[in-house]
Amino acid sequence: MRLTVDGTEHELDVEPDMPLLWLLRDELGLHGPKYGCGIAACGACTVHLDGLAVRACQITAEEVEGAEVTTIEGLGTPDAPHPVQQAWIEEQVAQCGYCQSGQIMQAASLLALNPAPTDAEIDAAMSGNLCRCASYPRIRAAIRRAIQSEGA
Amino acid sequence: MRSTLALLALTFALPAAAQGFDPIAEVLLHPRCANCHVGDDGIPLWSTDAGGTRPHGFHVQGGESRMGIETVPCSACHTERNGTLPGSAPGAEGWALPPVEMQWAARTPAQICEQLKDPERNGGRTIAEVADHVSHDPLVLWGWDPGPGREPAPGTPEETVAAILAWADAGAPCP
Repeated sequence: MRLTVDGTEHELDVEPDMPLLWLLRDELGLHGPKYGCGIAACGACTVHLDGLAVRACQITAEEVEGAEVTTIEGLGTPDAPHPVQQAWIEEQVAQCGYCQSGQIMQAASLLALNPAPTDAEIDAAMSGNLCRCASYPRIRAAIRRAIQSEGA
Repeated sequence: MRSTLALLALTFALPAAAQGFDPIAEVLLHPRCANCHVGDDGIPLWSTDAGGTRPHGFHVQGGESRMGIETVPCSACHTERNGTLPGSAPGAEGWALPPVEMQWAARTPAQICEQLKDPERNGGRTIAEVADHVSHDPLVLWGWDPGPGREPAPGTPEETVAAILAWADAGAPCP
């Protein structure tokens, strides 16, 4: 199968029902997306599929044939971070950090679809991404900062 | 004599039952259907182990788009097929809430019956087209193939289509 991940095209020989998360972590060595629950109930594995957030544990390899996947590794660079990544650093959001790649990917997807979300929309959009350290106030603050930085 | 009367009663009662709206309402109000046919709050329902319903987890909101575009698109978790693990996200092609005018949750069979006949509230369909919708729409058909851990809608799609057509033939009476 073929797919593009973080701008690089790959040809892979994997089982069609392999979860995308397995493919990314075990086949491509991209460890940013995390395994949390395996049933779309925590958001730790969130990546972008053709630009929108999806739970990589729920998508199978055959469903991403020919698709473009972006992981946290490909969202920005150290020199040019995505506005959400920059805001994350400035707000020092992470505590343990396990959930943050999923949180950032979800937030970036939200702002791509809805550049000026209300506070209620931010809360609704981020409620599927759990943080066991309860860093939610800093997550909200970082998203608001990213919105401001983009002038929305 | 008593058994003859009983047989006669049964003979006349069966067609009436088959032509009524009850078997259709049983399907439409089943959680596999009604949990997504929700009102303008756009909040899908989950069935509970106790037999009731609760709002969908994760603060999920269908929004005006009815597919979560304003917050989290349904497609973030729901793919075109059911997850295979108990508790994993179900899926079907076109996963979304139905239009708000098709609300069934918290409504009576009589109300839903009138809705189903009203093109303003059934997607502009004739009753025959409603029946066709039941037999062809992947998201409707999902109700009978809802994945592990979920009770399917009653009967089969074919039985539901037959019930809708029989009800239409009888003049589409409402309770």
